[in-house]
Amino acid sequence: MSPALPIDQPDAGGSSLSRVEDYYLGRFTAMAGPCQVLVETDDRAEAADLVRIAREEALRIERKFSRYRNDNIVHRINRSEGRPVPVDEETAHLLDYAATCFEISDGMFDVTSGVLRRAWTFDGGERVPSEALVRELLGRVGWGRVTWDGGALVLPAGMEIDFGGIGKEYAVDRAAGLAASRTGRAFLVNFGGDLFASGERRGGRPWGIGVDDPGRTGRATVMRIELVQGGLATTGDARRYVMWRGRRLGHVLDPRTGWPVEGAPRSVTVLAGTCVEAGTLSTLAYLQGPAAREFLEGQDIRFWVF
Amino acid sequence: MQLGPAGGVRGRLGTAACLLLASGVAPARAAAPTPTPTQSPTPPKWQFEGSGLLYTEKKRASVIEPTGRITRFLSDGQILSATLGIDAITGASPTGAIPTTAIQTYTTPSGNVQTIPVGTVPTNKFKDARLSLDLGWEKPWGGWLTTTLGTHVSREKDYQSLGASGKLSLSFMHKLSTLTVGGGYNRDGVFPTGGTRAPLSDGTVIVGTGTNRKTVSTVLVGASRVLTRRWMIGVNATRTTERGYLTEPYKVISVVDSLAGDPTGDLLTENRPASRDRRDVLLSSVYHLDTGVLYASDRYYWDDWGIRSNTLDLRYRHELEEHRWIEPHARYYIQTRANFFRYFLLDGEPLPDYVSADSRLGPLQSLTLGGTFGFQVKDRPGEWAIRAEFLVQWGKAHPAEAFGNQVMTNMSPPVGVGSVVVLYTLKF
Repeated sequence: MSPALPIDQPDAGGSSLSRVEDYYLGRFTAMAGPCQVLVETDDRAEAADLVRIAREEALRIERKFSRYRNDNIVHRINRSEGRPVPVDEETAHLLDYAATCFEISDGMFDVTSGVLRRAWTFDGGERVPSEALVRELLGRVGWGRVTWDGGALVLPAGMEIDFGGIGKEYAVDRAAGLAASRTGRAFLVNFGGDLFASGERRGGRPWGIGVDDPGRTGRATVMRIELVQGGLATTGDARRYVMWRGRRLGHVLDPRTGWPVEGAPRSVTVLAGTCVEAGTLSTLAYLQGPAAREFLEGQDIRFWVF
Repeated sequence: MQLGPAGGVRGRLGTAACLLLASGVAPARAAAPTPTPTQSPTPPKWQFEGSGLLYTEKKRASVIEPTGRITRFLSDGQILSATLGIDAITGASPTGAIPTTAIQTYTTPSGNVQTIPVGTVPTNKFKDARLSLDLGWEKPWGGWLTTTLGTHVSREKDYQSLGASGKLSLSFMHKLSTLTVGGGYNRDGVFPTGGTRAPLSDGTVIVGTGTNRKTVSTVLVGASRVLTRRWMIGVNATRTTERGYLTEPYKVISVVDSLAGDPTGDLLTENRPASRDRRDVLLSSVYHLDTGVLYASDRYYWDDWGIRSNTLDLRYRHELEEHRWIEPHARYYIQTRANFFRYFLLDGEPLPDYVSADSRLGPLQSLTLGGTFGFQVKDRPGEWAIRAEFLVQWGKAHPAEAFGNQVMTNMSPPVGVGSVVVLYTLKF
C-alpha cells in the first residue's frame, strides 16, 4: 500500500521538501507529531516558503501553549497559585473559546481537565487508578471555578489548564491562514491528522484524505474523504487505551467522572469550516459515548464514525 | 446528557471559532462573480461598447474575453453593428472521468501521518483562443415592420462556426404589441487536435483527420405585450435542430471495477447521437417601479436527449442619484440528465450505443448571485459598469448508481466560479 514514497530532500530548518506528482510535500515534526504541508505548485521556492511559514507557526504555538515548557504563558498560569495572571490577546482568544466550549458542552469540554491524565496510563495495559486518586484529581478540575474576565485569569491553586484539546487544530488553522495570505495555490496542512484544505486543486480536483482504520493505525485505510475546503479532525482511541474488565477504554476522559468515556465509537471524523471547529465537534461527539452519531446527526455537518 | 438543541452547538462553535481565528489571519475564502450585457438606449449617431473580464476565480479555466461592439445609428432608423470578441482560454476541463480517489494524506486518531501518491488526473489541460465577428443590420419599414439580418463567424484551434440569421418584428395596436418570427442557420466544423478518435475506444484509433460537420438551425416565434403603463410581458418559443458531429472530442468515461467501484484505469471516448432537437419557451416580465425596473423570466427547455431544464432569472435595476445604478441579479438553474448520461461504465459490460459522462449532460443545478454597479466618471464621457457574480454548480454527490468505494466519494463535487467584468459604453 505504499508505492514509491518520495525521496526527501532535507531543507535547512528541520523540514524536508519533496516533489510528489503535481504538488510539493513538506514534512517536519512539531507538537510531538509528524506534520505535512502539501502545496500544489510547480515553484519549489514558493512551496518551501509556505512550508517554512507553517512550520514556524506550529513551533511558535507549541512554544507558547505547550504545558511541558516552563517559559510560557501556560506555565505562568499553572504556577500562579490563585493569583491573577494577565494574558495577551491571543491567549485571551483561546480562553474565550475554551469558555464557550465548556458552556455548550455542559462541562464535558474542559481545559482544566488535563490533571486527570496523571491518573491514567493509556498504554494498552490494564492498569486503572484508585477511586481515591480519581476523586482527589477531580477536586482540581472545573472551569466553573476559574475566574476569567477577558483580561486576566485567576486559577485556583492546584488546578492547571491545558490547551492540548484545541492547540493542534488552532495551529492548523493559523498556519493555513498565514499560508492563504501568501498564496492562491491549493494547499493542505496536516498536523498529526488534523487538517485544513484551502480549496480546489487544478482541474477542480479535491485533496484525497485517507482515514485510518482505528484498529490498524498506519497500515490500513478505512476510507477516503475528498476535501476541497475546510477543516477535518479525528478523535478516537487508536492506540491510547486501557483494558478494563474486558472493555477497551479510550484516552478521552470525561471531566465529570474522571474516567474514560465509555461506549464511544473507535473514531469520529468531522468536516467543518475550520479545523478548530472540526476538532471541537469531533471531541464533543466522542464525549457523548454511544450517542456520538446521534449528536453529530443533529449538527448539520459531514462526519464519519467507526 | 444533552447538548442543547440540535444544531445549536455547531452554530455557537462556528461563531466562537471565528472569533478565535479572527485574532490574526483567518483561513482564506474567496467570493466573487460572470460575463455581461450592456444596455443600448437612446440613439445618437455612434455607440461604442466594450467589456472585459477583470477577474475570475474559476480554477478550471480562465477566460479573458474582451469584446467590442460598434454601432452606427442612421437617421432613417437603420442600425448597423459590428461586434468583435476574443476569448483566450487556458486551464483544464474535466474529462468526464470520475473524481480521483487518489489519497494525498491521512487523518488518524493517533496522529500518525503518511503520504501515498496515487495518480489520476481527470482533466485535459488546454490553451486556446477564439476569435469571433458578428455583423448586424436592422431596418424599419414604415412604423410597423422591422427586419434584422445578422452574420456570425468564429474560429478557434479545433472549431469553426459560420452562420446567418434573420428576424421580422411586427408591431401593432400603437406599438403596444409586437410579434416576432425569425430563424438562423449555422454550419460548424469540428477538427479535434490529433484527429477524431473512434467513439467508445481508448482513443488510440483515429477514424479521421478531417473536419466533422455540424449544422444548427433555429426557428423562433415571439410575442410581447404592454399590459399597463408600467408592465410588459413577453413569450418566446424556439426550436433548434442540430445535426452531425455532436460528440465532445476530448471527453471520456471511466471504466470501473464492478465489485469495488474503483477505476480500472481504462477510459473510453464518449459517443453522442448525431442529432438533437431542442425546444424552449421563455416567459418574461418587465415591471417599472418608481425608482427602478424589475426583470423576471422563466425558461423551460426540453430536448430529445432527455434533458429538461428550468431557469429562473431575477434582476432589479435600481436608479441611484447622479446617473448611478445598481442591479442585483439572482438566477437558479436545474436540469435533468440526458438518457445516455452515465457516471461510469462497468468493466465487462456490453458497450451502449451512446454514452457520455460530461457533467453538463448530468443532473445539475446552479445558483448565480451577483450585481452590477453603473456609474459615470465626472467630466469624462461614457458610462461604466462593474459586474460581479458568483456561480455555484452542483450535481448529485451520491447518485443511486454509485456503489462500492464510490459511495464514499462525492461523484460531482460542487464547482464555484466567480468573476468581475467591467463594461464601458460611449455614445457620440
